Amino acid sequence: MRILPYSGNLATPEGPCIKGLSYIERTHSPERIIHPKIKTASGKFEEISIDEALDLIGNRLGAIKEKWGSHSILWYRGSGMSGLTNEIGNSFWKAFGGTTLTYGNLCWPAGLEAVRLTLGSVKHNVPWDLENAKTIIIWGKNPAETNIQEISFIARAKEKGCTIIVIDPLRTLTADKADMLFRPRPGTDGALALALARILIDNDLIDYEFIAKNVMGFDELRQSLHISPAEAELITGIPVENIIELARIIGTNGPLTILPGYGLQRHQNGGQTIRSVLLLSVLTGNIGKSGSGFNYANLQSYIYDDVKEPLSYFADSEKDMPFRRTISMAKLGSDMLKTKDPELKAVWIERGNPLLQSPDTNSVKKAFSSLTFKVVVEQFMTDTAADADIILPAKDMFEQSDIIGSYWSPYIQFKPKVIQSPGEVMPESEIYYHLAKRLNMDVSQEMIPEPGNNNIEQWLENRIKGYSEITLDNLRMAPVLAPGLQQIAWEDLKFNTPSGKIELFSHEAKMKWGISPLADYTGINHSKEDKKYPLVFLTPNTGSRIHSQFGNLKIIKETNPEPYIRISPVDAISRSLIDGQKIRVFNQIGELKSRVKITNRVLPGLVVFPNGIWFNEGGGVNQLISGQETDIGFGAAFHDNRVEIEGVD
Amino acid sequence: MRNGFIFNHTRCVNCNACSAACILENGWTVHPRNIFTYNSEAENVLPVINLSLACNHCESAVCMNGCPASAFYRESVTGAVIIDENKCIGCRYCQWNCPYDAPKFDSGKRTISKCHLCYSGLIEGRQPACSTACPTGALTFGQLSDTDFGSVYSWFPDKKLNPAIEFTSNKYYTPLVVIPKEIPRPADVKQNKKGKNISGELSLIIFSFLATISVATIISSFIGGVFPDRSIFISVLVIAGIVSFFHLGRILRSWRSVINLRNSPLSREIAAFIVYAGVSSVTVILRIPVLLIASSIIGLIFLLLIDNVYIYTDRKKTVILHSGQTFISALIIVSFISGIVLPFVFMALIKLVSIFYRLLVNKLNNSDITLRFLRTVFLVVPGMSLILHNSNPDIFIIIIFLIGELIDRILFYIDFNPLNINTLIDEQLNLDRNEKKRD
Repeated sequence: MRILPYSGNLATPEGPCIKGLSYIERTHSPERIIHPKIKTASGKFEEISIDEALDLIGNRLGAIKEKWGSHSILWYRGSGMSGLTNEIGNSFWKAFGGTTLTYGNLCWPAGLEAVRLTLGSVKHNVPWDLENAKTIIIWGKNPAETNIQEISFIARAKEKGCTIIVIDPLRTLTADKADMLFRPRPGTDGALALALARILIDNDLIDYEFIAKNVMGFDELRQSLHISPAEAELITGIPVENIIELARIIGTNGPLTILPGYGLQRHQNGGQTIRSVLLLSVLTGNIGKSGSGFNYANLQSYIYDDVKEPLSYFADSEKDMPFRRTISMAKLGSDMLKTKDPELKAVWIERGNPLLQSPDTNSVKKAFSSLTFKVVVEQFMTDTAADADIILPAKDMFEQSDIIGSYWSPYIQFKPKVIQSPGEVMPESEIYYHLAKRLNMDVSQEMIPEPGNNNIEQWLENRIKGYSEITLDNLRMAPVLAPGLQQIAWEDLKFNTPSGKIELFSHEAKMKWGISPLADYTGINHSKEDKKYPLVFLTPNTGSRIHSQFGNLKIIKETNPEPYIRISPVDAISRSLIDGQKIRVFNQIGELKSRVKITNRVLPGLVVFPNGIWFNEGGGVNQLISGQETDIGFGAAFHDNRVEIEGVD
Repeated sequence: MRNGFIFNHTRCVNCNACSAACILENGWTVHPRNIFTYNSEAENVLPVINLSLACNHCESAVCMNGCPASAFYRESVTGAVIIDENKCIGCRYCQWNCPYDAPKFDSGKRTISKCHLCYSGLIEGRQPACSTACPTGALTFGQLSDTDFGSVYSWFPDKKLNPAIEFTSNKYYTPLVVIPKEIPRPADVKQNKKGKNISGELSLIIFSFLATISVATIISSFIGGVFPDRSIFISVLVIAGIVSFFHLGRILRSWRSVINLRNSPLSREIAAFIVYAGVSSVTVILRIPVLLIASSIIGLIFLLLIDNVYIYTDRKKTVILHSGQTFISALIIVSFISGIVLPFVFMALIKLVSIFYRLLVNKLNNSDITLRFLRTVFLVVPGMSLILHNSNPDIFIIIIFLIGELIDRILFYIDFNPLNINTLIDEQLNLDRNEKKRD
């Protein structure tokens, strides 16, 4: 089995990333769960047959529904492969009578909402347009590790003379490739952006014509910009002269593309931070043109979603029926414990690892232990799977056909079934089919197709009707660009906002979220307890994992050194720590231990440890992270926690 | 035109996809391809430079020439240098000879594995797995034009081997400006400093030291006219033989170790040992005085051939004129035991110069300095006693003196540092670091 690049796909003409390559091992791994498991009284798992497992689950779900109602079940689902077949679970639980659901999202909704409020929708130019930029600002993003396909386009731009600027408190592997690296303190990006906006306006480095035609709220914004370069230096740590230099590049060296990451919006002020950074693209007229843009996310290939992100994350008690959405993703544990009428009694988890990845691990563990029945659909013995009463083996991406879009690439792609599932692995669609039968539920083929990949493909064929260029046969030949795609986003200068213009002043922001209608900056608010701890705890993603996935595979372990807690030399010396020794990171809510790496890649005052490392590998950063929401969009403010460190050997 | 790897460091972000693809395609249990990084922790405003490297399939393949078992061959269509794992004896000599860290010892198979250029696919028109997988276009495979190694690769070793690799990145490269200006990494960051670990070389120390003792004994016998004790003499040879035999990965194939007499200094050394062991055993067992001179000459040639094994691979000249070489060691032992003062003084002076020279040029840690001090004492004190008494020294003094020589041999392995990309990167970083501090 080989995974090879397809040069006909303009977004990803080169090879796959290391995670993509490692699917070869992931599919065939001897550690993969391929038979259902049930937890016995002794706490150990035993294998049972898929029929026994489904009988048992059917009985339990039926009984729980009868006794406490279907809303006593929490259906927790992640994005998985983001394919259309994800909808089948929705159909099942809807027919079941609805469940309790989460709202919000752990990843990126503050930024999505910031872009939507300002520009009306969330999209950007096609990835290959990036090489037409004269300046690229990679702001809080690390594509070298988390979007490696973008590196080719950045490199091509650089080879044509483009200036590459990275803004990040960490010297990332991406920063190694840049011309300039600005290192503001975490959570202060908004102040930097607002100071830059003021310099741009004061020095006439803005596009008046573009603003006059397309922007609402410029005058209000101009009057509100009060952060001077000197104040910005105090807040961010970037010297005044460098802030002015950066403004000059932004204002004069277009076209400018900004590549914002999701890390800088995982703060209490995340939404306003993204709105502030987006100002720079708008004021300089870098929207709707080749080589320019604000590439937060490109949802143009999500043509089959009735409600697009971020709106789909927000609870709407009428439209959500029969589901009820009362639990915040960011505050999963405490919200689960608070839920009443009925209380939560059971959880069904698929495509997710909430025990490890949700903020405030202690509260999540407590909430889970209060439940009477836990079903987890998984491929490996993750920390969440290990907590289950029954584990159902999950399909791998090669084992069922599906249709997928992307939030970066503009293609719609068919993902064919290429191998037979091992053991008794069953795709979710079939699990739900058999459960519906056992529960005597009335479901149509349209809702849940009969088992067999032919039936899934038939289901997909029906599902994608409506766009003539998209048929299964077309997709089988090659990826297809999304119908209606704007290669240059907003080249028509039509914005789907209430005013039809770019809204720097947004009534909706005020009405919906209670924030200022203008972009503004508020420092991170720390509790009294928090302030006792001197260091900021950042938990970024790394190139070898997608959150908690892939790190268990041999090929990943072999090609990546063991994960280290990284600190600056300054903080190491003041605590007499030795490179490579074991240290303890702790704060008022938890602690963890792992080895330390002393490195100039980290600013003084920071402790950096990737998220997604399993408990048994010394990971579990969420033990130190409190459950807080972002200012808008119901995201999780992962990066606002403080810690202290000490040596343990 | 020659084919080879073409590498653009400005596109390489150290993602390791090349290394993973190599393993997944070929099922290795070792890592034939690795990314070497200069300044991986981004110190002191210095650039970070990545280099993805497997075997460069050199025109002058030192791994192949030096291999005592002739286990390497050049594949005729692709020019790939390939190791036949069924011929490899696991002596690991190629790991010393290759400056690119390409041959990897597979501790399961107990033989060397290395990049074979995915040659069977290449012949069918498929590119190697590593360059196919590279997601950024940093690593490609194709026709080499000009092998320009460029200034960012000042640490790239031994271009004379004519490696099949080309770098294409320099014109795009600009050093990173970091804002706010970086605080240079303080010198007092505590690091886990480990000296060079020579436990892997233990069998070689024993073998070469016993060989030195044996040859010195034969020559002393020739000078003094007294044959050594049969059983002790034979035991020394047998132990030396067994030790070197068992240090091979594949003992049953040890007969292959002498089949590359034409090119491999290691083959010659092993052959010389066999001849010397045979002739000297006959001499000592049958006590044939005329054969003592033959044994002495063969013994000295044998020792020269031992030294040559290291000189051949020591292209960085780390142990040139080292006081721990076997030839000079045997001669000084002979002169000491036989009480011949003038030659002894002459050779002791050479040794002292060599020791002090290394104290000056090498960066040494504390345990090294202790060893070198002991070594000097164990040479000077017995030497003074020899000069003052001007007679054959007693057995206690001889043992002290021999311990000194053993320490010298151990120091030889500590100082022996074959040309290797890992150490070159460290050395370059140290140099640049110090230069930055002076700025």
